[in-house]
Amino acid sequence: MRRFLLLLALACAASEWLAGASLRVPDRVQAGQELSIPTSGSGEATLYLFGPSHAAKRTVKLGTPVTLAGDELLSAGRYVVVLNGESSTFFVTAGPVSTVAFIARPSRVPASTKDVVSGTVFLFDRNQNLVLSPQPVSFSLAVPGAPDVQHQQTSKDGVAWARLDSSRRAGAAQFVASSGAASVRRVVQEVAGEPCNIRMHAERAKGGAIALQTDPIRDCAGNPVPDGTIVTFTSVDESGRSTVDARIKRGFAQAELPASRRATVSVASGIVSGNEIRWGGGQ
Amino acid sequence: MRARIQVRHLLFGLLAALLAAPLLLSAAETGFAVILDTSQSQPRQVEETTMASVERDYGHAWHAMAAAIEENKIGLLGSDFVGLAREQLSQAIAEQGKSGLKRRYIDHGHQVRVVFYSSDGSAMELHDTVRLEIQLLDGDKVVHREQGTFHFLALMTPAENSWKVRLLESVSGF
Repeated sequence: MRRFLLLLALACAASEWLAGASLRVPDRVQAGQELSIPTSGSGEATLYLFGPSHAAKRTVKLGTPVTLAGDELLSAGRYVVVLNGESSTFFVTAGPVSTVAFIARPSRVPASTKDVVSGTVFLFDRNQNLVLSPQPVSFSLAVPGAPDVQHQQTSKDGVAWARLDSSRRAGAAQFVASSGAASVRRVVQEVAGEPCNIRMHAERAKGGAIALQTDPIRDCAGNPVPDGTIVTFTSVDESGRSTVDARIKRGFAQAELPASRRATVSVASGIVSGNEIRWGGGQ
Repeated sequence: MRARIQVRHLLFGLLAALLAAPLLLSAAETGFAVILDTSQSQPRQVEETTMASVERDYGHAWHAMAAAIEENKIGLLGSDFVGLAREQLSQAIAEQGKSGLKRRYIDHGHQVRVVFYSSDGSAMELHDTVRLEIQLLDGDKVVHREQGTFHFLALMTPAENSWKVRLLESVSGF
């Protein structure tokens, strides 16, 4: 019995010694942090380290801790360390958010439109590792003179996205995405949408031509429709149809149509039609 | 009579080899097997043509990476990797070369889920569950060998006519 107990104690001691010989590394280490690995035994051995952007082989002294420097562990991912026939794996994880990669689309949108602006962010630490742990991200879209459009989101696997409405007021909107201390700004040009209604008036020009001019053309939120937008004037009389495309200039569009004794004149821009004038027979 | 049968077998064998050759060639060209699941893609659904391209290009990228990291030739990465992914792999390959080390990936297929596809179609995030055998070598001596299921997170972005791997990170799970 005494002999059996002695053998059992020896076996326990041997197994503890063997366990001490295996590599003990933590499951996770933050990128850029130094890692110390205790070793047992004596003499020298070869250490191998394989990581996502690193591979190294060096001779180390057994019995003293082996240090993996922070700059050997900069890239997030799986690492394998091999020493004296033993191997262990661990993961390097990203540090705190340092950089926000922000994609804002599109760069030009109509004002007062739902879900028209989209923003996507990718969160990176200072070593360009994607921060996979959930992080609060805020999106804000602001045009001077109009209330900000805000959206809060929690990132998932390093990414967060949002769709925002454009403001009622046209102008250069500041689209900002931020997480922690990192923040990125983009400019989204919000322009007036389709004209809300178009009103024109007509008068006789020199030579009997019909001179047409619109009132100031605005979208339904009251923003002036941008200069350069095409407005089409059409007159239909007994000799046929005449059409003139004119660009909005300083908020108005104007054109001259050929002289006619009696005609129906209409105006339109895009899919929006304006008023109609019966020329010659009284308006 | 026996000689006639042998000739017939030989002809059948040649015919089979000729038919199989293009298939083997196309497997080598397209890379490792990838099965793509797009059912959880957000905020945009993946179009069928995009799905086929990503399957092809991601499998091809792994094929290129396995060759480059085993032969320590950065050039073998081709144009499948860009940005951070290319920098990291190039650095690892250069350091392996200096120390006489190699990595061998024996790929048994990828189950890939698209978890993010940006609304403008400019970025895609993949969760890849891959069955791999990994061998780490010092010269020709294997110093570490493991076989199992591994998880990789990938970011891909489209280029002119293909998708490129911009980030590839081994993670503990999803």
